[in-house]
Amino acid sequence: MNLAWVSANWPRIWDLTVQHALIALVPVVLSLVIAVPIGWASHRSRLARRTLLPFSSILYAVPSLPLFVLLPVILGTRILDPVNVVVALTVYGVALLVRTAADAFDTVGLATRDDALAHGHSPGQVFWRVALPLAGPALLAGLRVVSASTLSLVSVGALIGVPSLGYFFTDGYRRAFPTEIWVGIIGTVVLAAVFDLVLVAIGRVLLPWVRATDRTRA
Amino acid sequence: MIRFEHVNKTYPDGTVAVADFSLEVPSHQVAVLLGSSGCGKTTLMRMVNRMVEPTSGDVWIDDDRVSDLDPVKLRRRIGYVMQSGGLLPHRSTIDNVATVPLLGGSTRRAAHARARELLELVGLPESVARRYPSQLSGGQRQRVGVARALAADPNILLMDEPFGAVDPVVRNELQAWLLQIQDELAKTILFVTHDVDEAFLLGQEVLVLRTGAEVAQQGTPAEILLEPADDFVHHFIGGSRRHLHTEVRDGRRLVVDADGRVAGVATDPTGPA
Repeated sequence: MNLAWVSANWPRIWDLTVQHALIALVPVVLSLVIAVPIGWASHRSRLARRTLLPFSSILYAVPSLPLFVLLPVILGTRILDPVNVVVALTVYGVALLVRTAADAFDTVGLATRDDALAHGHSPGQVFWRVALPLAGPALLAGLRVVSASTLSLVSVGALIGVPSLGYFFTDGYRRAFPTEIWVGIIGTVVLAAVFDLVLVAIGRVLLPWVRATDRTRA
Repeated sequence: MIRFEHVNKTYPDGTVAVADFSLEVPSHQVAVLLGSSGCGKTTLMRMVNRMVEPTSGDVWIDDDRVSDLDPVKLRRRIGYVMQSGGLLPHRSTIDNVATVPLLGGSTRRAAHARARELLELVGLPESVARRYPSQLSGGQRQRVGVARALAADPNILLMDEPFGAVDPVVRNELQAWLLQIQDELAKTILFVTHDVDEAFLLGQEVLVLRTGAEVAQQGTPAEILLEPADDFVHHFIGGSRRHLHTEVRDGRRLVVDADGRVAGVATDPTGPA
């Protein structure tokens, strides 16, 4: 590990870390926003479950590199446009999260939903005030997986020239310079840890009953 | 007032949950639907707040036919207590009690003030307000369930085996307490239970139901106890357990049933032997 190189290149490392984080952040947020309605539909309708869930599993099986190369053709974007990576990673995130979301809604007790209806929640209020918050803990667990997976997949974008910490892998490998590769690895791991901590913190704020009731059971 | 007019509920597969049921529960009275599970008593109750739509017939509350009302608004003006307590597990006690006023458009401050009044009315200490349902005892949960049902000050309360899931000591306590607050509040209550003693304790009018919500007998507890309409009712309310006589054993006058089991102590020392 050549620390002199690290300090000499710090501004570049910081710059690529920020880019990496931004490219990862958008797909993580979009995955949640897109997967929740699809998961809800799959929970509500047998037809949706039979079509949407297998389709999302197939999407996840598409290899990432060809997808990065293919998307500019489909979307009409430039090959170096970060949008390609963002769209591809959103596809993977949604694929990962849809089944979790459907299962999360399944676990919200029928009795609880029935009770909410009987007390005068409209169907929309049942979703926003009851089903979504109660699915929250499982959705959060799924989102943490999506976040880690997305942060590591962003690196692949470096192969098609979209700047991220992945650049240090390709460049370090090309120059046979292990320090650079280590910087890429450590940077990605640290980013993944930070994302995870932020998600957990958001969960604590939005899902306060989870901790309170866990303490009771323990 | 709650009125059922010839309601029938037949499911698409041909199952008849309710054959032909009529009943009027006058305002401020407690009517109990008593029957075993599967007799259709819960189905009847859920027709009042349109959680179940009758296949034919009408249900009225006060002067409104429920099928003419918007189901969401209708449900907000009827208090409902379920067996499980049915509280929202992710909301604190006070938020659970404030649910219906909040849905009805009250401000958070007003709804919470109302919820605090109700927690006091149902005899719960201030300290439970911030707890979640899973942190409460079974008896406390049922009290919160009743507080929530009363929060929007409905004329009508539907209670579906509300004390079925708590132990007998707590159940007796909750029954006595319900009678006490009913003295004060005078709601129109439709109460569903399979517990004969509970039905006779709480109901001014009791309906013994058989399968298909067919009324085997309707009357005051005393009428049903003294003159069971048929063998079904006789057995359902306890059969020989209800035929009591007194006997002197070891110098005490005991009340004994037809099989010789002791049912209690006679406190009237000059009563007939």
